[in-house]
Amino acid sequence: MKLYQEKNHYELLEIHSDVAPTEIRQAYKILFDLYQDESIATYSFFSEKERKEILSSLEKAYLTLIDPESRKAYDRNRIELGGLEGEERKHSNHKKNPSSIYDFKKTHLQGLVTIRNPEELKHRASQNPVIQNILDQDTITGRDIKKIRTELKITLEEIAEATKVRIEMLRIIEEDNQELFLPMVYMTGFLKSYARYLQLDENAILSGFIKHINKGKCP
Amino acid sequence: MSQIWSIGGGKGGTGKSFIAGNLGILLAKQGYKTLLIDVDFGAANLHTIIGISKPERSISDFLSRRFGTLDEAVVPTAIPNLYLISGAMNNLDIANLTHQQKMKLLRNIARLSYDYILLDIGAGTSFNTIDYFMVADSGIFVTTPEPTSIENVYRFIRSAYFRKIHHVLKAHDFRTLAEEAERQNCNATVSNPEILLHVIKELDPGKGDIVEKALRTLDFKLILNQLRKQDNPNIGELICKIIERHLALKMSFIGNISYDDHVHNSVCKKLPFVDLYPYTRTALDLRECCKNHLSIYTELQKNEKQRSNHQA
Repeated sequence: MKLYQEKNHYELLEIHSDVAPTEIRQAYKILFDLYQDESIATYSFFSEKERKEILSSLEKAYLTLIDPESRKAYDRNRIELGGLEGEERKHSNHKKNPSSIYDFKKTHLQGLVTIRNPEELKHRASQNPVIQNILDQDTITGRDIKKIRTELKITLEEIAEATKVRIEMLRIIEEDNQELFLPMVYMTGFLKSYARYLQLDENAILSGFIKHINKGKCP
Repeated sequence: MSQIWSIGGGKGGTGKSFIAGNLGILLAKQGYKTLLIDVDFGAANLHTIIGISKPERSISDFLSRRFGTLDEAVVPTAIPNLYLISGAMNNLDIANLTHQQKMKLLRNIARLSYDYILLDIGAGTSFNTIDYFMVADSGIFVTTPEPTSIENVYRFIRSAYFRKIHHVLKAHDFRTLAEEAERQNCNATVSNPEILLHVIKELDPGKGDIVEKALRTLDFKLILNQLRKQDNPNIGELICKIIERHLALKMSFIGNISYDDHVHNSVCKKLPFVDLYPYTRTALDLRECCKNHLSIYTELQKNEKQRSNHQA
């Protein structure tokens, strides 16, 4: 049996030299409870001085091993001294991230949502003559907006998912179904989100669309 | 050959006799021929625990040579299979046995033939108590979860530890070695047994190994008695851990026994507790401890048998 003074950090904490940090922490916690001031189990077994010494050597071992950098240095040092066989051991870090039971962020929908590069989208829009023609018009109809979208090959579902605007509302806009329009304050909001998603100038689209609506009202 | 269990633990009033008596009853009820010996001379009361108010014969009859053999001092009890050698004395000197008397007694105890012999050891850490404790196949410490009582367990273990080292060293004529070790660490030897063994090993590795091997033969057990609800039930395990970490000894925890006021009632009524209150938590704990200890033992024997088979 070795005296505790002669034990290496791993032996002192009673752990293997390849354990994960969580186990080191656990081992230290148990031993700390054993030797701490109020521990009834070690009362009278050690003198106050001995106990303090043991506690401080435990603490030193713990602090050295819990930090990956200093642990690596300590391991390297021990290999050089011949205390540890073989090449440097890689300790497996079994750290697990918590996984939530309920997926608040709805990350599972990420597969449906295509991640768009805004610059690329802008570029495609500027290169497309059909889109440019529409944008040059004085008024913009719902059908025009739909055309821009189909030219850009973006589905309505994708826009609904990204903008959080109900897909029926988007469809109403695209079909110019003015009977089903909500108050204009809502419709302009929806259209702005729509246009923003397509990387278009939302104000230009909006003013064109409003002009088109107004034209329909007073011919 | 009978299995000898000794039940001790340094401090008085921790329930050594209570546990010895009740373990004896439990063993007897399982059909083992069991003998209880009260070696707490001068303060013997094991007989009362198992419901005998005044034993007709006692160990002093043997020591004063009224009986030729220890067998004659045995009294049967009301419980089948359970026998008692009482330590109650009519002789004033009996509390202070001479070395010869003690050795004679130990020799004769070893000759008795029972399934289990339980020695109820008195308080204190005198050589007499320690020797009775160490003669056993299995030494059971009884402690309560109080600093005073745990302190005495450690003191007792240390004394036993030194006694063993002393014993081995003398037997092998290692006296000079021990003296050398003591000279090197004159203060530390008493307070830190760890160091003594270490010094011996450093001075002479071969002899150090013999000492260490001898210390390994010591097989201690621990029962935590009078555990109240608010106490930490892990203390027993912790104590064993400390012993194994810092002394080259084996020590296994057998179990907790809950505190119960009914124990007081049963002692006052002079009736065995496990009979009077068989369905209390404490009686359950006692049965559990008995079972645990038996299973530790049979496992050990199995291992030994396997080892001897291997060697054969």
